[in-house]
Amino acid sequence: MPKRVAFAQLSSCWGCDQSLVDLHLRLLEVLPQLEIKYWPAVVDYKLSDLERLPKGSLHVGFVEGSCRTQEDVHLLEVMREKSQVLVAWGSCSCYGGVQGLANQWSIDEAITRKFLKADTVTDPRVPDENVPGFTDHIVPNPDIVPFELIIPGCPPTSDNIYDAVVALLTGKPFDLPDRTVCDECPREREEKHIKEFHRTYEGHIDPNKCLLDQGYLCLGFATIGLCGAQCPSANSPCKGCFGPPPSIKDHGAKIIAALGAITDMSPEELKSMFPDPIGSFYFTDYAASFISKIATAERSDTK
Amino acid sequence: MKSSTKMKSTTKSKTSKEQFEPRILALCCNWCSYAGADLAGTSRLQMPPNVRIIRVNCTGRIDPTFILDALYQGADGVLISGCHPGDCHYTTGNLKMRARFALLQNLLEEAGVDPRRIHLQWASAAEGDVFADGIRGMVERIKKLGPSPMRRGGK
Repeated sequence: MPKRVAFAQLSSCWGCDQSLVDLHLRLLEVLPQLEIKYWPAVVDYKLSDLERLPKGSLHVGFVEGSCRTQEDVHLLEVMREKSQVLVAWGSCSCYGGVQGLANQWSIDEAITRKFLKADTVTDPRVPDENVPGFTDHIVPNPDIVPFELIIPGCPPTSDNIYDAVVALLTGKPFDLPDRTVCDECPREREEKHIKEFHRTYEGHIDPNKCLLDQGYLCLGFATIGLCGAQCPSANSPCKGCFGPPPSIKDHGAKIIAALGAITDMSPEELKSMFPDPIGSFYFTDYAASFISKIATAERSDTK
Repeated sequence: MKSSTKMKSTTKSKTSKEQFEPRILALCCNWCSYAGADLAGTSRLQMPPNVRIIRVNCTGRIDPTFILDALYQGADGVLISGCHPGDCHYTTGNLKMRARFALLQNLLEEAGVDPRRIHLQWASAAEGDVFADGIRGMVERIKKLGPSPMRRGGK
């Protein structure tokens, strides 16, 4: 019997759908076993189609993206109600995603910057008709409703999605591995004493040596090993988009802990190397960090 | 009888709104600062009672997660106290903490949380007075900053 599934998109780039469709011919193995009840990215479903379904009638619900608007929150709650197994699909859904970086400012500041002050805006006005309204700050979906499973990644690779879907269809467990990108990386590593950090466009990157040893900020050491070290294999440092392994509570804090141990610089030099620690250390999971929650409380208090 | 009324009045002043009594977490290394804290105690140096000390083997063991988690759980400030640079029992643990602390300060500042809520100090096993001064300074600083945002407002 095919399993009834739904794919819901909250605020996101829909790249996770792209990654799923990138399965190409392997899609043919999976699709006959799925009865798709809702997937607006591919077929013209309306929200009312989803709302009409009986409670708990979906075997698996996939939620992509984070709650930037009130409508996203509503869709998330409907998905929870209809799904037996709810899956947080992609880093936005698991940790808040890149949108979470907006938690550095109040929603009013963010709206002003985006709609009124952006350099390309010629007719500054804030849209207020027929729009659902913004949420005050990004909260990771698992803090809003409970999830049975998370698949991080920006986006998760086609293989990750395939493995997860097959596990869900066959009823096998799908556990996140407690390994890092470094465990999957083919580069040669040495004892680390980093004296200087470079931007990725500076100098020539040796394709065989560890990027960190060469002074490029590669976050593979604190990032979950699910992607097969795609970026380091292509001569590009890991940005940490998959978030931390399950045993790590705070991604950026762990990155700071590791950097403190492997750098050989004065505190002042080190500070000057990272003028934007939030952007560098919390690329897709700032909303899930301790510091974002403290800063949000601070802001709502002074308001 | 007299002493009980006195007790009552002090508890009252603690709970009144104007008199904010901070709750500060201190992480002290086993070899220098924890012994320094012991010396401060046996020397009967006066210190404000706002600090809860947790002993760690070395400041190099302190994961920045501990500090951020403490602030998230409502600590008004976190004080880290270790051996002087060059004196670490494990050679370089305190230097690692110093580097982490620098990045952590950057992070707090960028996020909009006052970086003075965290403080790093060096106090050896012989410097009970330095330790006590550090505690007094920390309590004064945090009293000026007010309660942690996690304890104000809705919580």
